[in-house]
Amino acid sequence: MSARSLRLAAVFAGLWLAAASSVANEPAPGQLLYNKHCLACHQADGGGVPNMQPAIAGGTWVKGDARALALFVMSGGFDSASRKDSDVGNVMPPFHQLPDADLAAILTFIRQKFGDGGSPVSAADVADARTSLPASPK
Amino acid sequence: MRNALVRVVSVLGLGCIAPGTAIAADNDGLALPPGFSAVVVHEGQGTARHLDVAANGDIYVAGRNGLSAMRDTNRDGKADIVATFGDVKGTELRLFRNWLYVSDDVGVYRYALAKAQLAPAGSRETVVSEFPKERQHSDKTFALDAKGTLYINVGAPSNSCQEKDRQEGSLGLNPCPILEKYGGVWVFDGTKLNQTPANGRRFATGMRNAVAIEWNATQNSLFAVIHGRDSLDTLFPTLYTAEDNATRQAEEFHQIVDGGDYGWPYTFFDTRLARRVLAPEYGGDKTKEPEAGKYPEPLVAFPAHWAPNDLLFYSGKSFPAKYREGAFIAFHGSWNRAPEPQAGYKVVFQPMKDGKANGPYEVFADGFAGDMKDNSPRNAQYRPVGLAVGPDGSLFIADSQKGRVWRISYRGK
Repeated sequence: MSARSLRLAAVFAGLWLAAASSVANEPAPGQLLYNKHCLACHQADGGGVPNMQPAIAGGTWVKGDARALALFVMSGGFDSASRKDSDVGNVMPPFHQLPDADLAAILTFIRQKFGDGGSPVSAADVADARTSLPASPK
Repeated sequence: MRNALVRVVSVLGLGCIAPGTAIAADNDGLALPPGFSAVVVHEGQGTARHLDVAANGDIYVAGRNGLSAMRDTNRDGKADIVATFGDVKGTELRLFRNWLYVSDDVGVYRYALAKAQLAPAGSRETVVSEFPKERQHSDKTFALDAKGTLYINVGAPSNSCQEKDRQEGSLGLNPCPILEKYGGVWVFDGTKLNQTPANGRRFATGMRNAVAIEWNATQNSLFAVIHGRDSLDTLFPTLYTAEDNATRQAEEFHQIVDGGDYGWPYTFFDTRLARRVLAPEYGGDKTKEPEAGKYPEPLVAFPAHWAPNDLLFYSGKSFPAKYREGAFIAFHGSWNRAPEPQAGYKVVFQPMKDGKANGPYEVFADGFAGDMKDNSPRNAQYRPVGLAVGPDGSLFIADSQKGRVWRISYRGK
């Protein structure tokens, strides 16, 4: 390896290290996506807003089956059976329009942070759940 | 107590605070203007909403757990007798003649008050019932004028009348069909019983949810502060940022006139531009204006999401002269500003003259929310909802977190 190549390799290694350390200090992609799509209603602590939006932290959805959670988030709360007895005012819109990878990151984040460290959800898991959505959920 | 009753009492010369009235240490943590002090009247009946105070000083509070009546027998400001009564779990509460009018999500009812008796003994009568049971914006707050005309806020069960409510990119229905039965003020004869919504008349429209609604006897007119829309950024992310959503759409204070249209869902008042713009659901591009003159400008454009839940024109005599006929507004506080810091959670005073704003609003009582861990409304220590004036001119404030009721008195500088 020439001296020039070595210098280049060192520069790239430095850049990689800088990028890696800056990533370590930033919120996970799932948290950033949660902040963008979910936080306004469910709040930063996942506790929701009384009478408006339900808490998700510690709830059965985030602790339960990942596929069911993926289906619920993609479908929205409009037709949820549990909603009939709910005292919260607002309805949850469907999020099927988000890419599989984004949904997977969000679901992984909420299961880990609000669901007692639940197992991660992959984009493939979301894609699989998506096959169970009604043909035209839009 | 509102309007006429206050005037009667001040004629009798009861305009100063009773000697021996307790003051909460450090005003119970509330920040008040110089010369004002706070007493905790009571806490413990659960989530309180609105309240009113009778000519004899008895305090009536509506809450999510039911109705309660409070009496301060030794005149130290604190309630000594607390009675619960009735079967209405509700929101608005107003004394009118010898009746106590209350409401829940689907109706307005009244109880007869007997002289010297704290809690009503009889069962309730139905004034209006059978409003559809809705989930969003369903509290039927109301106002009564001196003749007993009943003005009911019928909030829209929707954020912005999208084809799919609160769904990203969904456009607005035009015309918005919700406005046929919701999103305005309906007027009834408040002295008649057993009415249904069909007996009412739409008095004003284009109001998303006018929780803070009040009759102003001096101006002989209705006024309201309206909850503005949510979610500009999540519904239209290519147009609006989270910071835009947290700051732009005003909570609009209007004089409400017969036949008035206040612009929801087609428009909102943008506090940054200081003018009305078309909503993004209706072709708005962040700057496009509606047809000139179609909708009135607000008397005051309060900050976004502060959640105005009560409006009261001060008719007492014990506060300094500048407060006379001015408006107190209780802001319940935001949830939809997140991830930006939440805001509101205070009572403001808006100076008024001849029914118009007379100078900028001032924060009157603050410090309700406390530290509010995680920026979550759930963790607010208190959230002010209801306002009333007592016979001595004190201002009463009710809280929805713990059901605390304060009495704010002026003691001079």
